[in-house]
Amino acid sequence: MKRVPARFQWSIEMQLQCPFCGWRQVAEFRCRGVVAEFDPDTVSGVYLRVNRTDSSIEYWQHLNGCRSWLRIWRNPSSGEVLEIQALDSLVQAVNPE
Amino acid sequence: MRQPQQRYSGWSLAKAAWDGGSYWHRLWGATPLQDAYDVVVVGAGGHGLATAYHLARDHGIRRIAVLEKRLLGYGNVGRNTTIVRSNYLLPENHNFYEDSLRRWETLSHDLNFNVMYSPRGMVEMVDSDDGMNTLARQGNAMRLAGIDSELLDRKALARFVPEMDLERPRRFPIVGGLLQPRGGTVRHDAVAWGYARAAAALGVDIIEDCEVTDVRTAAGLATGVETSRGYVQAERIVFAVAGHTGAIGTMLGVPLPIETNLLQAMVTESVKPILNTVLVWLYDDAETYISQTDKGGLVIGGKLDGFASYNREAQWHRLAEVVEGAVAMLPQIAGLRLLRQWAGTCDMTMDGSPIMDRLGYDNVFVNGGWCYTGFKAIPASGAAFAQFVATGTAPDLIRHFGLKRFADGTLLDEAGTGPFPVEH
Repeated sequence: MKRVPARFQWSIEMQLQCPFCGWRQVAEFRCRGVVAEFDPDTVSGVYLRVNRTDSSIEYWQHLNGCRSWLRIWRNPSSGEVLEIQALDSLVQAVNPE
Repeated sequence: MRQPQQRYSGWSLAKAAWDGGSYWHRLWGATPLQDAYDVVVVGAGGHGLATAYHLARDHGIRRIAVLEKRLLGYGNVGRNTTIVRSNYLLPENHNFYEDSLRRWETLSHDLNFNVMYSPRGMVEMVDSDDGMNTLARQGNAMRLAGIDSELLDRKALARFVPEMDLERPRRFPIVGGLLQPRGGTVRHDAVAWGYARAAAALGVDIIEDCEVTDVRTAAGLATGVETSRGYVQAERIVFAVAGHTGAIGTMLGVPLPIETNLLQAMVTESVKPILNTVLVWLYDDAETYISQTDKGGLVIGGKLDGFASYNREAQWHRLAEVVEGAVAMLPQIAGLRLLRQWAGTCDMTMDGSPIMDRLGYDNVFVNGGWCYTGFKAIPASGAAFAQFVATGTAPDLIRHFGLKRFADGTLLDEAGTGPFPVEH
């Protein structure tokens, strides 16, 4: 997994590297939820989360920017962003495989 | 070593003043960790300590340990904005929180420790007529349950909160509000200390710097916990770990309907009394609440940061938004400096209501999912959950907070937002 360079680490505001726009403040983005780990058609898929303190895969949208949907690998304990990918289409967001 | 419990009174104060302060004992002693307990409570925060206290006081369980990863009261019980209230729409919620509010009223006497309950009133304010309709419905639901609430129009609100200039033009005008006169604030640290002192006096071992890393099981039951200080045998295990409840579910192989988000709060420098109530302003898609501590600082809070996090590093843009809301509400505080800003990890459930249930095993209990409203629930939660742990049957007050509500669809979605961990 490619590491995002630790740029802007001094900043008090988290920054994310949009694949289209470059580094932007996190205020421009909105987290759209974690990637489902259960069958989305079941009760588990709707409600349950596998809460790992060291890794999290989420959908984000560059809402106040280019509005593209992104998939982000993060470490929720350290706050480190490991990888950011653009989603080809919304279909992928709903059903990643 | 345990010391005899001191009773605080005017007489003890005078006695301590006479002998220069050396009279005071420690609030709770540094007791050693034993090998086996009847009940091990994980997490020395408000809910954990209150549960341990009620287990010892009401149910006569003698061998209880409260294990804390870091320091007592270092988590959300020391990070909240100290507001207590029971203004909820759903009967399951307002009856529970009303029980809690009644316990707050007498808690200082019960614990013999001044928790500084201050019923200064709590006003929820909205920016639209739609919002007023929602508040009217909520207030009527409360009044039907015998809980005090008062719908304030603009004029009545101006009379109740003269500090706020309602004629001032705002982008989101303040139209009115719902007042709960018995709502108010409680000194949050005193709650942790008071419960710890009272529990320790009843023989509860409070062990700080002792992290639980795993649960040992045999024949379908939990037998004890692995900790950073070695194995501790336990007949029953209670998890009251706030923001890490979801991680506990993962540890036990039981995924929970929880996502941990950050909520930040801040306090200004101390000023003379300028605000004699708790103000909550719901405007547009945002929210700001503000109250003045007895020390004089204004405590301000807002909405969640908006994504999963465990590291308590809050985002700047949310802080800016909360401050904007506070200054729009009370422009006269714009010149104050912020002294401190901090964040707490909130275990957000998918319907915004707490989870009090067994977790995976018959003798493992979880008290969590309090979202960002766990502080005001502490007294009721401690008493009801202790009864659940001691008898094995959930009392009526908390029966509907079980995990099965997610499977059978009896959700307690107070905000009506659907299955998202965003709103309480």
